[in-house]
Amino acid sequence: MPSGALLIAQAFNGLALGTLLALVSSGLTIILGTLGVLNFAHGALFMLGAYVIFVIAGQTGSFVLGLVVGGVFMLLAGVFIERVVIRLFYARPAEDQILVTFGIAIVLIEAVRAIFGGASQHVDVPSWAEGVTQLGFLIYPTYRLALIGIIAVLLIALYIVLYRTSVGLVVRAGIEDARMVGILGINVHRAFLLVFAIGVLAAGLAGMLYAPIVSVNPDMGADFLIESFVVIVIGGLGSYPGAVVGGIIAGEIISITSAFNSAYSQVMLYAVMALLLVLRPQGLFGAEGRV
Amino acid sequence: MSAERVGLARERRPIPFLPEAVLAVVLIAAPFALPHVGFSFDLMERILNWGLLGLGFDLLFGAAGLLSFGQAAFYGTGGFVTAYLLINHVISSVWLALLIGTFWAGVFGLVVGWLAVRRIGIYFAMITLAFGEMSFFLENAPLSSYTGGENGLPGVPVPYLGPIHLVQGLPMYGLLAGFFFVGFVLARRILHSPFGAVLRAIRQNTARVEMLGHSVPLYKLAVFVIAALYSGIAGGLLGVFQSYMPPDAFTLDTSGQVVVQTVIGGVGTLIGPTVGAAVWLYLRDNLQMIPGIGALWKLILGLIFVALVIGLKRGICGEIIALFSRRPAAVEASGELEGDFAAEAPPPAPELPMRAPMVRALPEAPALRAINLAKHFGGLRAVDDVSFSVRTGSIHAVIGPNGAGKSTLFKMLLDEIAPTAGEVRLFGRRITGIGATRAAQLGIGKSNQLNQLFLDLTVADNIRVAALARRRGRFRIDVIRPANSIAVVERQVDVALRTVGLEHRADTPVHELPYGEKRRLEIGMALATGPNVLLLDEPLAGMSPAERIATRALIQEIGRTRTLLIVEHDMDAIFELAERITVLQEGRLLAEGTPEQIQGDDAVQTAYLGGLHAHEPA
Amino acid sequence: MQVSDRPDGVSRRNALRLGLGTVGALALPGLASVPGLAAETHAPVGTWPAGAQGDSVFIGITTPLTGPYSADGKDHQLGYELAIAEINAGGGTVAKWGLKGKGVLGKQIRYAITDTETKPNVAVQAQTRFISQNKAIMISGCVASSTAVALEELAQREKVLNMVGASGSNATTGQDCQRYAFRSQPSAYMVSKALVPVLVKQMGKALKVAYLTPDYTYGHSLFDSISGAGKADGWTVVSNQVVPLGTSDFSSALLNIANSGAQLFVNIAFGADAVASTKQAGQFGVLKKMKMTAPNISAFQAKEVGGGLMEGVYGTMDFWWTLEDKYPLAKDFVQAFHKKNNYYPRWDAHIGYAQTYVWALAVERANSFYPPDVIKALEASKSNPFDSTLGKVWYRAEDHQLVRPVPVLVGKVASAMKNPEDFYELVEVVPGEPLLPPPDMFGCHLGAYT
Repeated sequence: MPSGALLIAQAFNGLALGTLLALVSSGLTIILGTLGVLNFAHGALFMLGAYVIFVIAGQTGSFVLGLVVGGVFMLLAGVFIERVVIRLFYARPAEDQILVTFGIAIVLIEAVRAIFGGASQHVDVPSWAEGVTQLGFLIYPTYRLALIGIIAVLLIALYIVLYRTSVGLVVRAGIEDARMVGILGINVHRAFLLVFAIGVLAAGLAGMLYAPIVSVNPDMGADFLIESFVVIVIGGLGSYPGAVVGGIIAGEIISITSAFNSAYSQVMLYAVMALLLVLRPQGLFGAEGRV
Repeated sequence: MSAERVGLARERRPIPFLPEAVLAVVLIAAPFALPHVGFSFDLMERILNWGLLGLGFDLLFGAAGLLSFGQAAFYGTGGFVTAYLLINHVISSVWLALLIGTFWAGVFGLVVGWLAVRRIGIYFAMITLAFGEMSFFLENAPLSSYTGGENGLPGVPVPYLGPIHLVQGLPMYGLLAGFFFVGFVLARRILHSPFGAVLRAIRQNTARVEMLGHSVPLYKLAVFVIAALYSGIAGGLLGVFQSYMPPDAFTLDTSGQVVVQTVIGGVGTLIGPTVGAAVWLYLRDNLQMIPGIGALWKLILGLIFVALVIGLKRGICGEIIALFSRRPAAVEASGELEGDFAAEAPPPAPELPMRAPMVRALPEAPALRAINLAKHFGGLRAVDDVSFSVRTGSIHAVIGPNGAGKSTLFKMLLDEIAPTAGEVRLFGRRITGIGATRAAQLGIGKSNQLNQLFLDLTVADNIRVAALARRRGRFRIDVIRPANSIAVVERQVDVALRTVGLEHRADTPVHELPYGEKRRLEIGMALATGPNVLLLDEPLAGMSPAERIATRALIQEIGRTRTLLIVEHDMDAIFELAERITVLQEGRLLAEGTPEQIQGDDAVQTAYLGGLHAHEPA
Repeated sequence: MQVSDRPDGVSRRNALRLGLGTVGALALPGLASVPGLAAETHAPVGTWPAGAQGDSVFIGITTPLTGPYSADGKDHQLGYELAIAEINAGGGTVAKWGLKGKGVLGKQIRYAITDTETKPNVAVQAQTRFISQNKAIMISGCVASSTAVALEELAQREKVLNMVGASGSNATTGQDCQRYAFRSQPSAYMVSKALVPVLVKQMGKALKVAYLTPDYTYGHSLFDSISGAGKADGWTVVSNQVVPLGTSDFSSALLNIANSGAQLFVNIAFGADAVASTKQAGQFGVLKKMKMTAPNISAFQAKEVGGGLMEGVYGTMDFWWTLEDKYPLAKDFVQAFHKKNNYYPRWDAHIGYAQTYVWALAVERANSFYPPDVIKALEASKSNPFDSTLGKVWYRAEDHQLVRPVPVLVGKVASAMKNPEDFYELVEVVPGEPLLPPPDMFGCHLGAYT
């Protein structure tokens, strides 16, 4: 039985991991909710973000510049992918959409491998967040604390866009009933484009922020893809608050389980997802009756 | 019934067993022809293995529409059980070990399926994914002493078939080709059986299948187990054929690959997964051999894959099949036939061979009785304390302004939705709470306001699915016989078609029908379940005046031998047809009585017209 | 592990063959001088003689070019390609190894390389094809013990020689050993016996040790071997964090380790896991609290981890390029590789390179491609060790483990690096023979020759 101090430390850890998952998953969930597309390329886009900051921060030495320029790059990438490929699939059945995003994932991963090679790349923790911070009994990397803060800001920004702007209103209406939104005369396709680009941006930013912590390699996104599926199920498909809360819950599940037995930390997530799907498929915030 | 009449409803199959014969020829010729174009024996064997896995998946997904991302769980289970038994000499016979492995894959499929089929669409896919990943974890960690963990189980002995040592090359190819052929023949039988007909209808419109009297969850569970069995035998054969059972049999990658191969090859074609596997594996093997490509093979393959998904909407085989079965548009002819139907009075329809058994719980019970029915959605009272009775053999109408709650009422009468309060009795027997499927089996049916048809199936197929519910009850696994081989069902289909005047359209896909004919089909389907009480929700909606006349005559005809309950806005029709009318307004019972009584009722007029004398402009 | 797939009546014939084989091996030097004699007296075995007729022979090579081990896999491929090119061309280096001239026994080497996608199943598929279609006379290549085990099995079943690629698990020459497979990388046991004394010398006895163990056979192998070797010096295990392979966030495990009171942190993670866990260990301050050691340092680890995190970290590798100063053949290898590929070879390349050369030497000693003869030449190498990139090496007959020195390294401080790839200093090159486990310790039962 792990000690109380350790459990608290792991709970805190889960928060850090959870906010990251929340960011990745929020992108996935708004794309799913609005466009109806389950984006299997989400993990690859996360990876792309990590490589973007590797290139920019590596060249310029500035992490913040990397985030900004990288963010613009990811938005453009999202626009490109949506215009060239995704747009052709709105009328096609769900499995075709899943498959084309799966194909895009392969292309992205292998293109990165061809350009950068398979070895891991190194991204430095930004100088303003180096070192550790003492939190009572817990010594915690300063960068991870900064991460929680940065992601919280980003999630709030996304919240403002979705819930306080007219564009966001269109997006949320589109999640409810995209056809209706179109019938009302609103240019749904422009909204779709925006949603997809924002979703890609969220995934890319998560990758950028995570890069200093892990090994940046072409295959790094696979785990995050599956975990974000679990998160959006827990939170409710298409629900933004669900993705945020679900992400934190998922992070806690992983961390607390590993306090007992690390080997089970990921599978516990799947078990929770299966349980939820059987008992309460709409998740925490999903609408009942839409299952 | 003469042979020609039965023949009208027969599914059109130009040459019997043509696909099986072609497959046999291809399988026999392949080992001699294909090696010259870069297909090694090993590659062909692998393609067949994926194809076998894919047969089950295509029944699950292509036929029934259930997209599973967890087939690896059963593939791995079958494979590891078989390999474990053989390596540890628990069982010496390869065939027995395969059987046991497949059996356990099926058992696991039953457990997972029972949990998974309650959900649809993406939720179903997620459950299967979760179980697939959990199985992989089990194989890798807790059970690794049995499964070898990440090493897998090497050393599966090479089997003997009698005196023949099934080594690599032609002998092992023969084994896999044999299994695949049998699997294919079986899968085709399943697909074209009554069971398969219900599956394909489920893919088109699940709710309607339930309303016709089929237990959709049981059908879904059954096809899920069938797919698990196919996965299990394929997994067992994998270990046997390469003498090694790999842990990647359990990975999400494996589940995903069968999905990819099926979609590339063509969903619902049964041979699609095999073709998809051939394309994928052939390219994977041979792209790498081109000098300078090296690790780029996967990038190239990814680009090809994206192009294929974009370009081939039906997959390779699907597009080929579509090319060969182009139908000349038959829509122009429909106009005259419409007129014919309208002009003549329909001949008296022969009696349906199958009717629901008329079981009265109480001797004097009315056909249908609503008792204090209410349905509240939060604060909204869609239906509030409605009671009425429908006399057996009568035509009873329910009318009211829009938003009066008529459709909600109808749904409660069939137990499609559960009332907040009150109950419904069918011939004295309480049917509230038993579900729409059981209610349909008891003999109450409905024709919907919005057509609920199986658009990609033919007219005859649509009717047949309805008739099969009457004949076979809620669930039956009759996977061997052809769907159109039950004589009494075929007679039912024939009579139903004649009754609604669609016998000349028997082989037309429903999506090609004009609206009026679709409406008639809607009624025909409800009829074909042989109900004693038939609910018609706005049967005349959207019809032209000529069609209305004909349909009114049809309704009168149908009403002669059963009890009808109609919702309509066409007042002329109502007053002509109905013996008794119930009027609803804002969910409450406003009035009830004979047509004359209702016509003269002030409250009814006020409700419909907003008051004769109020709000007139000055 | 023995797998008998023939009915019992044949085993007697095997025993007879074994007897004849032994006699033959004793008489081998004499027979070897009569070319062609060996070929005439043998029934076909595996791809022999079909694969050895004609003017070339085929080697099937599998390596992960995509997937998590793709960097190691690429390195591995380049090692094979360099060796094969050199042997085919002949010349100075080839003569130094002791080979006769162009090709092997005068036959050029053809080869093909397939991407295994880091999946054992794909490797088995590819090699099966190489054997049945291309009549491969030798199969090689892998970057994971799981693949190694599967290919060893395949080799034994198909009776085709397998020079095992990169595999460090004890089981590869233990319970999964095969007559037809030979492994060159030091086993987990050897690594432990080489490393632990060096660590004891640096840090003293009676240490509190924490382990980060990836949850697979090799991980557990190393944990068992190191904790076992350390026990004799009073090491105690204060924490063993078992994490799934492919974990990206080690924070939970590292928190536990940070709070365990350990003085030494044994990081058994490999590849991308090693990079992530090391970076995060740095970020969590673990590396300030205790010393880290990486028993089996991944090929590109120092470069990938960056930030000087590997400074002062002890570990072992199969090969490090600064061994060129110690062994002339290593110098030839390193220089030729660097010239061709613009970076210094890592140990995956070394394994591919050296295994190919040793195989060629064994074939020429046996004067035949007949598998049992080549096997016996390798098994008899103790009395006549091969000159190699690691000095004199030989295969132990009982379990087919290459007896070779184990380099113990320590990460250099950045200022001490003489060029951008000079990451490690060679602390000690520990002779191999004393490091070997007793032959039956891991349950090796070699199978039949035919």
